[in-house]
Formats: sequence, C-alpha cells, structure tokens
Amino acid sequence: MTQFVLKRLAAMVAVLLVLAATVFVLQRLTPTDPVHAMLGGNASKAMIAAEKHKLGYDKPMVAQYVDYIGGLLHGDLQMSLRTRRPVATDLGQYLPATLELTLFALVVAVVLGGLMGIATAARFRGSGVLRVVLLSAASAPSFLLAVLGILLFYRKLGWLPATGRSSVANVPTGPTGLLTVDGLLHGRLDVVTDAFKHLVLPGLCVGIGPAMSIGRVLRSSLVNTMRTDYVRTARAKGQRESVVLLRHAVRNSLGPALSMTGLQVGLMFAGVVVIEQVFAWPGIGLYTIQSIPRTDFPAIAGVTLVLGAGYVIVNAVIDVLQAAADPRIAL
Amino acid sequence: MTFTSVQPTEVASPRSPSAPPLVTIEGLHVTFERGGRDVRALRGVDLSIAPGEILGVVGESGSGKSVLGLSMLGLLPTEPPPRLEGSIEVCGVDVVHADDDTRRRLRRRHLGAIFQDPMTSLNPTMRIGRQLAEVAGTEAEAVRLLDAVGVPEPKRRLRSFPHELSGGLRQRVMIAMAVAGEPSLVVADEPTTALDVTVQAQILELLGHLRDELGCSFVLVTHDLGVAAQVSDRIAVLYGGRIAEVGAAADVLERPAHPYTVGLLRSRLTLQARRAGPLPTLIGEPPDPRAHPPGCAFAPRCTLHVDACDETLPDLVSAGGHPGVAACIRLDVPLAEEVALVDAWPEVEAVSAIEPAVRLTAVFKDFELKSGWRSKEVLHALRGVDLEVAEGESVALVGESGCGKSTLLRAIAGLLPIDDGAIALGPGARPQMVFQDAGASLTPWLTVGELIGERLRSEGCGRSERDRRVREALQLVGLPAEVAEAKAVQLSGGQRQRVALARATVVPPEVLLCDEPTSALDVSLAATVLNLLGRLRRELGMAMLFVTHDLGAARVVGDRIAVMYLGRIVEVGPAEEVASAPQHPYTQALLGAVPGVGAAARRTRLEGEPASPLRPPSGCAFHPRCSQAVDACHTDGPELVTLRGSSGHRVACGPAHAAGGWG
Repeated sequence: MTQFVLKRLAAMVAVLLVLAATVFVLQRLTPTDPVHAMLGGNASKAMIAAEKHKLGYDKPMVAQYVDYIGGLLHGDLQMSLRTRRPVATDLGQYLPATLELTLFALVVAVVLGGLMGIATAARFRGSGVLRVVLLSAASAPSFLLAVLGILLFYRKLGWLPATGRSSVANVPTGPTGLLTVDGLLHGRLDVVTDAFKHLVLPGLCVGIGPAMSIGRVLRSSLVNTMRTDYVRTARAKGQRESVVLLRHAVRNSLGPALSMTGLQVGLMFAGVVVIEQVFAWPGIGLYTIQSIPRTDFPAIAGVTLVLGAGYVIVNAVIDVLQAAADPRIAL
Repeated sequence: MTFTSVQPTEVASPRSPSAPPLVTIEGLHVTFERGGRDVRALRGVDLSIAPGEILGVVGESGSGKSVLGLSMLGLLPTEPPPRLEGSIEVCGVDVVHADDDTRRRLRRRHLGAIFQDPMTSLNPTMRIGRQLAEVAGTEAEAVRLLDAVGVPEPKRRLRSFPHELSGGLRQRVMIAMAVAGEPSLVVADEPTTALDVTVQAQILELLGHLRDELGCSFVLVTHDLGVAAQVSDRIAVLYGGRIAEVGAAADVLERPAHPYTVGLLRSRLTLQARRAGPLPTLIGEPPDPRAHPPGCAFAPRCTLHVDACDETLPDLVSAGGHPGVAACIRLDVPLAEEVALVDAWPEVEAVSAIEPAVRLTAVFKDFELKSGWRSKEVLHALRGVDLEVAEGESVALVGESGCGKSTLLRAIAGLLPIDDGAIALGPGARPQMVFQDAGASLTPWLTVGELIGERLRSEGCGRSERDRRVREALQLVGLPAEVAEAKAVQLSGGQRQRVALARATVVPPEVLLCDEPTSALDVSLAATVLNLLGRLRRELGMAMLFVTHDLGAARVVGDRIAVMYLGRIVEVGPAEEVASAPQHPYTQALLGAVPGVGAAARRTRLEGEPASPLRPPSGCAFHPRCSQAVDACHTDGPELVTLRGSSGHRVACGPAHAAGGWG
C-alpha cells in the first residue's frame, strides 16, 4: 500500500511537471503579450518592460519554468494577471463550487449507470424504457439538455432554480466550501435543500452522458459474468436468479465499469466548463473562460494543474476500488 | 469423516433393486441451434439411476455426456434455448416441463453439482465460508463439511478466497458445497480432469467415501473409462448422443459388448500397453453432432460394420456377454481378439552416446512474482536440471503441474532465458515445439498451407517448391493435400494437432519438443497422435522430448523416462524399467495413482499435493509427502546416482541409496 501511494505520488508529480511545461510552451507560442494586455493599449514601452521585469517575464523560458516550479513547491501559483490576486486564492474561491458540481454529477452517473446496467442485464420490467430515456438524454448535447431543463423545470414548472449555486442569504462559510456539506455541518437545512435544488439540473446535464457509458459497460460485463462457471455453480445451488445476479455477478463485473468511471471523470471536468456557463455556476469553468481571452497564463496554468492532479487522484481511487472489489488484485 | 445425520437404513443397501429409481430418463432428445444448424446433443437416451448408486457416464467430446448431466440438473445453457423431447424425472420432479422455480427448488433441496475446473467454478470474489454457507446454512455446518471432505484447518479456510487454495483443495471445497444439505443426487461433470493424477486419485476415493457415508447417488461424467472404473457401480457408455452400452462396471470393463466400448478400452493408455509398435486405435474421428448418419453413429469406424448398420438406429438389446444392454445389431458376431497388431516400429540405429541432441547441465530458472502488498516472491521453476537427449532418442519428461517440465521445454526451445547452467543443442535444425492446445497455437486467419510454409520461406524456398513440401508434410501426418487451403477453425481437434505436427516437422528439427500434445484429445485420438509421433520421429530421425503428466503415455512414447519433481529430476532411466520397477518413492506414487481398469487399480495413495515452487522444502523436496523419508531427507538434497547393473537408471533418493546397490 505504501508503495502504491508513493508510486501514485510520483506519477502525479510527473504529470504536473509535464502539464506545467506544456502551458509554458503554449504561452511562448501565443502571439498576444499578456503584460501588454494587462496594462492596456496606452501603456508605454518602458512601463511594459518594467512590469515584465517585475513579473520575471523578461527571463528566458527555462528560467521562468524553474521559477514557477519553485513557487509551486511553496504553494505559490503566481499572481493572476486579470484579477491581480494570487491564483491560489482565486482557485480556493472557485474550486469548491466546481468540486461540488462534479461530485454530484459523479453520483448521478454512478447511480443511474449502475441502475441501468443491472436492470438491463437482468431484463427487469421497464428496463427497456429506462434505457431508451437515458440513451436519448445522453445523445443530446449537454447544453441543449440544459436549455430544455431550464425551460421545463424553471420557466414552466418553477420547481428548480436556473442560475447560481445558492439563493439563501448569509450562507455558512467553510470548512469544505461545498454548500451541501457546510450546511449540514452548521445545521442549516435550508441551505442544504437550497444548494441541492441548484445542483439538480446542472448535475444531471453533466452526469447523464457518463451514466450511459458506465451503464453500458456494466451491462456487457454483467452479461459475460452471468455466463461464467461460478454463476452456473450458484444456480446449481438452487439460488434465486436475483441472488445470483446481485450477490455473485455484480461484484465480479465491477472492474470494467470502474475503469470507465475513471475515464468519465476526466470528461466530466470538460463538461463542467460548458455547463457552468449555462447555469452561471461560479466555478473554475467560469474562471477559466474569463481568463483565456485575457491570456492570463498563471490562471490557466493553475487550473490545468488542479485538473491534472484531480485526474490522477481519481484514477488512484479507482485503482483502490478495483482492488477492493477483486481480492486477486494486489496494489 | 463424520456425517452424523445420515440415516443408516438408506445407506445399507445402496443398490437395492426394489427401491424406485431416483432418476428416470426416457427418450430424451436435446437439440441446440448453433449458427442456424441443429446440433443434436442427445438423440433418445433412456437411463435410470437407483438411490445410492454411482453411475459413470463415459464418452468422448461431443458424445453428449455433459449435456446429459446438465439436463438432470435443469441447467442446460439457455441462449438460445435448447429443444427438449422425452422426459427426465429427478426425485419426483418432471425436469423437462417444470417451471424455472420448481427446478430451482429441486436443485436446492435434492441436487448437488461438481464441475470440471474448480478454479472457474468457485466465485473468485467471495470467501469460501460464505459460498459454503449459502448451501450449508450455518458456519458450523460449513466447517463440518470442509472437515468431512478433508480440507485441513477448515476454520481458517472459511476466510480464504478461492485463488488462495490449491487446485485439489478447491475441488474439495466444490465437493463440500455439492454434498451440503444432504442431496439425493450429485452430478459430477469431469471432476478430476483438471487435477494432477495423485490428486485425482484422492478425489475419486473421496467421492466413494461420501456415497458410503451419505447414501446419495452420484453421476460421474468422464471421458476416461479408467476414472469411471475406480468408483462406479454401473457404467453407461455414450456415443453420438445415444447410449452404446450400459451395465455393471465390472461387466462393461471386462466383458464389453459394444464394438465402441471394446475399441475405447483397447486404445486406453495403460501401463501394459504395447511399446514395440503402434497402439491399437479406433479409425476415424467422433461423429459431427450437426450431421449424424441415419444409422448407427459408430458404423463408419466399426470393424463389424455391415450395410444394415447404416439403415436404422440400433436399439438397446441384451448385451449377451453380461446382464446389461448394448445398442448394436452385430452383438452376436465375436470381435477379433485384438485388432491386428501387425507392424512393429522399424528398428532405429543404436543411439550414439557421443553427440547428444540436447545436453542440459545444471539448469536453473527463477521467476519473480509480484505478490501482495510490497513483496516479490521468487518461484523456483528449475533447480538444477541435468539431462541428455541422444540423437534420435525419445525422452518422456513426467511430472505434476508446477514441477517445471513446461518451463524446461520452453528454455530448450529458446523461448526463455535461463538463469544459470548450460543448454547445448546438436548441430541440426533448431528445436520445434508442439503444444497442448493445437487450436490456440495456429494463427486463425492464415491457411494451413501458409502456416506450414512460413518456415520454408525463411529458407529461401520458391513458391512451387514450398507448395510441394507443404503437401509432403501434410501427407506425412496423414492429412489430404486440400487441407492446405483450410483455416484452423474449419478443422477438428485431431486435424489441428496434425497440422501443428506438420508445421513442426516440415523442416525436420534435430529435436522435437512436445508439451502435452495429447492431453486435450479424446482417448481414441490421443492414441492416433502418439502413433503418428512415434512414426514421424523414426522416419525423420528426430530426437524427441515429450512432456506429459501421464506415465502411461510416457512409457509408450519414450525410450527413456525422466521424472521431475519441483524443478529437479528425481529419477531417469529406460522407460520400461522406470515404469515397471520405479526406485524413487515419488515415481512409485505416480504409478499408483494412474487410474486403471480392473482389480489391480487400488494401490498406494499419495497424500497431499505438490509443495509450492515458491517455497521448495529443504533437503529432498519430496520429503514432506514421502512415506519413506528419514531425518537426513530433511536436510540433504540427494544427487542422481546410477543403479548398479542397470543401463543408466539413475535415482535421487537418500534412503534408496543407503539401501545399497548404487554407484
């Protein structure tokens, strides 16, 4: 286990170094001058040069990279050129919202996918309908789904809010930044329900595509497992078909579904960026989209590194879950 | 063994004729649809099983024996659903017409099942205890069952996962599950085929014990008459989806009536089989279940065949020679005593001791396995192997699974680097290998001609020259030239193994390496392939190293036999001498475990299973299982020493050496 954690940490460091390097190369290739953009059109050449020197932008590329990595070791992600605040502070402000949305979407994906996989593999009554509904939902682009959802549940029925992540005044702050969790910790059930209502539409929009992928993989894995010798053994014992499926087959079929979940989390990060726009969700998707036109490289680099680290962590968690599901896998 | 809750009255007369049969099968037809064609697995089977009886169901692959077992359990594959005609009544339940739930309750209350491969038949992600408790009810009962089937430390084993147990222990767990809840009938489908011979003998003995203790009936489905002979009360021989012969086990084995039973018994590789020439074989191959002939399915292979055989299906009639029944219209015609054993092997020049084809000197090979949390384990596959194969000589390498015999073969073939020692090969063409699973060793998208010709291409043969030599190679292994255009999937198992042989011998190698090439084949085909190997190696002047777990095959194939245990050779010598007068206790035990037909079958049983090559025992690796071990065996690893007065019969055994006559 120790070895596993160390290996994964090493992998994460490697991923982060490469990601940071990529962002630096991109910065060099981009024609716009970020300092010029920051200071505005009528800044003098001297002012720009002075600012560049202050920020270290006049140094050679490699030196800048080394400086950046050095800062990274101390948790310093440099200053955002746009907000003029430390990128770390910005991320601390925007990340929890995205994290909460992604986690919620992940739960949606796993629950819906699991249900669909098991129901269709077992040919439960109504599983065909469920499958058609989910399939059509997943084949629509998520922004279309979002617009439809807003029209139906906000404009027409008025059940769910359409923008932001909270409409309650004085929401509790900390410790996690996730409103549902913080609300519970502070005993503010009104905050929890309100945050949950805000989560439902964007969460479904992000989670339904991955749910389909997970469900289909789980289904085909289950169908294969139901043909194995040990399932025949369970049937020979005279076990009910539902017991055979849930007790014997599901755990043995989780491997591929878990791998697919890991892959989908990466895609969900990308999906979140679009959905945050539609629902005016104050997360890092919004932050990134505002940073790109201003060529705010420290901000872009910060977001990239956070997402990269997140991806590595998620896949490490998936590996742990795989080993937990199958005793033959040793970490 | 303790089965406290058995009613002794039932056990007392397991074969009482008055008791109504437990299973009655009448006119059973089972048809599957595969690829738009009907596969007729069973074609009118009548059979009954008495309470407390062990019925051996014997047949080759495709005979329908497993389908018969599964249909009693109501567990036939359902996609696509098979068509059933006739009736199966098991414990008062009509299995053919009952609904799924009734069949499930029948299995729950009255039936048990043991399947071939205990690795795949146990749920890999569920602890043994929980799998057992599903049928045993309580943990205490699970412990009692494990104890009863001879699993050591049963309490601790409850917490184990299947992959943490050895093959033999897994099959014991499977048996414990099958007999939990005191079933009336246990269907065992090839329960020992995946196990080593010494473990197979233990498991068969256990089945017999369980019947005596529990009084339940067993159906023992097997392809090996010898296995059925060990424990069965009655034997039913299946051929082409129909019963060829049924009778008391001793009758069927000693006075077989049906020509197929006779042929099967004669092609069995026993320790008395003839070595001087080809083995008697059944001609041809088993029938294709998609296209049975209208008459007797065995007719095309039968020496008594007359025109009437092709017209109607023979009914079961009194066997004549014994009280059982057989399905043959020619039962009145006596079978030839022994199918003409005319040709003996051609004389081969005396092997030259100067220039061996293969010389192994102190060969070592370790594998590193990643194991668990952070550790690596070292698997000691070869622990100092010395062996010579002379030019044109055939050596059979015998041992149980995990002894390193296949590793050694792959090392000689150059497929594996060795850690220490030396492998010297003769000057001829490089070694070629023939594998156990011929189907898997043939590239599926190439034609047979391309597969065989591949090796000629590297020799710079022209196209027409290549075609000619491919034809020759096919002819040599007894295949028609048209096979060159076919792909591997279009061939039968026996044909594939012949193609594999043709590929290996199209450029005759100095030494042919065979890795259990017959163990996946039916009895009648195995003999054919062994004969082919015997002829090929003599005609082409190849040396041969033949790996097998079957001493019977080793004796027939090898000029010499080398017995391997845990990465070392423990005995080597002339085949007949090793097989008739084995010196090492392990060789003696292996011989004792060979399932035989007849009274001499019961001999010494070897306890336990081969030690793990991860932790070879100190001294002589065999000492923990050896009945003759003395203190010195725990510490001193014995060397191979030559038996005085023998022609190179060498044994590595301390107590045997101490008895004298060596050096």
